[in-house]
Amino acid sequence: MSRITAVPVPDAFETRTNATFEALMWALARPGTVQDLPAPGMAGLAETLLDRECRVFCDDPAFAEVITTFGAAQVALPLADHCFLSLGTTIDRLTQVAVGSVLYPDAGATVVAEVGFGPGQRLRLTGPGIETFAEIALTGVAPEFWAMRAALCRYPAGFDLFLICGAQVIGLPRSTEIEVL
Amino acid sequence: MTLASLTKPWEAMSYGFLDASAKRELRRKMLKAIAVPGCQMPYASREVPMARGWGTGGLQVTLTLLKPSSVVKVIDQGADDSVNAASIRSFLSKVSGATETWDTTEATILQSRHRIPEERLRADQVLVLQVPNPEPLRPVEPNMSVARQMHADADYGRLWLILYEQIVRSGRVMQGAAYPSLVNGRHVMTPSPIPRWDVPKLHMAQHLTFLSAGREKRLYAVPPFTRVEPLVFSDVPYQVEDHAALTCHRSGVSGYFMNEIPQDDGSSAFEVSDSHLGIKTIRQAEGAAIRIGPTWYENGKMPQ
Repeated sequence: MSRITAVPVPDAFETRTNATFEALMWALARPGTVQDLPAPGMAGLAETLLDRECRVFCDDPAFAEVITTFGAAQVALPLADHCFLSLGTTIDRLTQVAVGSVLYPDAGATVVAEVGFGPGQRLRLTGPGIETFAEIALTGVAPEFWAMRAALCRYPAGFDLFLICGAQVIGLPRSTEIEVL
Repeated sequence: MTLASLTKPWEAMSYGFLDASAKRELRRKMLKAIAVPGCQMPYASREVPMARGWGTGGLQVTLTLLKPSSVVKVIDQGADDSVNAASIRSFLSKVSGATETWDTTEATILQSRHRIPEERLRADQVLVLQVPNPEPLRPVEPNMSVARQMHADADYGRLWLILYEQIVRSGRVMQGAAYPSLVNGRHVMTPSPIPRWDVPKLHMAQHLTFLSAGREKRLYAVPPFTRVEPLVFSDVPYQVEDHAALTCHRSGVSGYFMNEIPQDDGSSAFEVSDSHLGIKTIRQAEGAAIRIGPTWYENGKMPQ
């Protein structure tokens, strides 16, 4: 019988995706907290979560090129399970994002966007993962986005949001209630 | 796309046993599970070198989280030294290089079957519970498509009926383990077969909990600071096991969940179920510099 004697060592890919997932997991488990990603940008998230089993929508052609390398099919927005959107100006298409249903809440999409953290629109968060309330401030999100999110996310249906700024991420699951201050 | 871009150098084994695509699928489902607390998310449940029903669900979640700096504790009914717990723990460290521990306060990932440790879990710890049957509605609705509709409708009346029938037949709620609990005011989950004693530890907790059923291919989660309320009637309060006054005959601790050990003369002796808490207490009494962390229950009572 052969024994495993050497201690397994993760390669760079495994180390990176493991750290990215841990950041995403804690970001979603503690909405409003800022978690550190091992590398800036949305590509790390795509590398960690996406493969040929996924259908993605991306409104930035340059980033769509990047996503192609991970093997996910590029589809129309209502069919996508992972959506890379810009939330700055044209957010009408948000109404097409898959929100799943009360029967299949897991069919709700994961929406990823690059925004700015810091002085800007202040939001107060309550819900699971937050002991009392949390406050964040964001720039680069259209003001009407939050009302649209509230209308679309009829818990347990809804979409989950990852906001990325450089190498930092904030997670806003559908279970979080957001008050615009 | 070139052949080189589709292949990678030969490896004896993927790091953490699971291959990259299995981990990505689990990651996607674990994120959805956190987003909808208590809602069962289906997943593929890959083969692991262990029979389904022996903790494969918990094992896959733990393998996805592992990194070389992880410290893992595995317990089975509160004990670190049972065959099942010891085998899973040594497997986890063999495939990942993670450190093994018996100490709740040292661990970063705790995989457990049927107990939550007595020492409080911190915000940086992840609890992974192995779940044999993830569907709280199975005793009342064997058809899982109908059960899914009942979850969608939040139609949980028949679970209260079970509790009512137990009170009528026996004078009290007889549900000893896997007590159905309402998570975030929306989904009823089974907290895995932990005793009633352990359910309040999930309510508004600091730590993140994953519950994963490998045989049934479903996982769900309880994020930190999430309401977990056992189903009760307003006039019949939730009661934990009557263990507050029992004393462990080996370590002398009292006020924790106990195992009952039948004696030859027909009486019973009691032994603290969280075995490493007992070990730490004994070693502390012998003068070793051991730190026992703050516990959920204080003097046999859970502070409100």
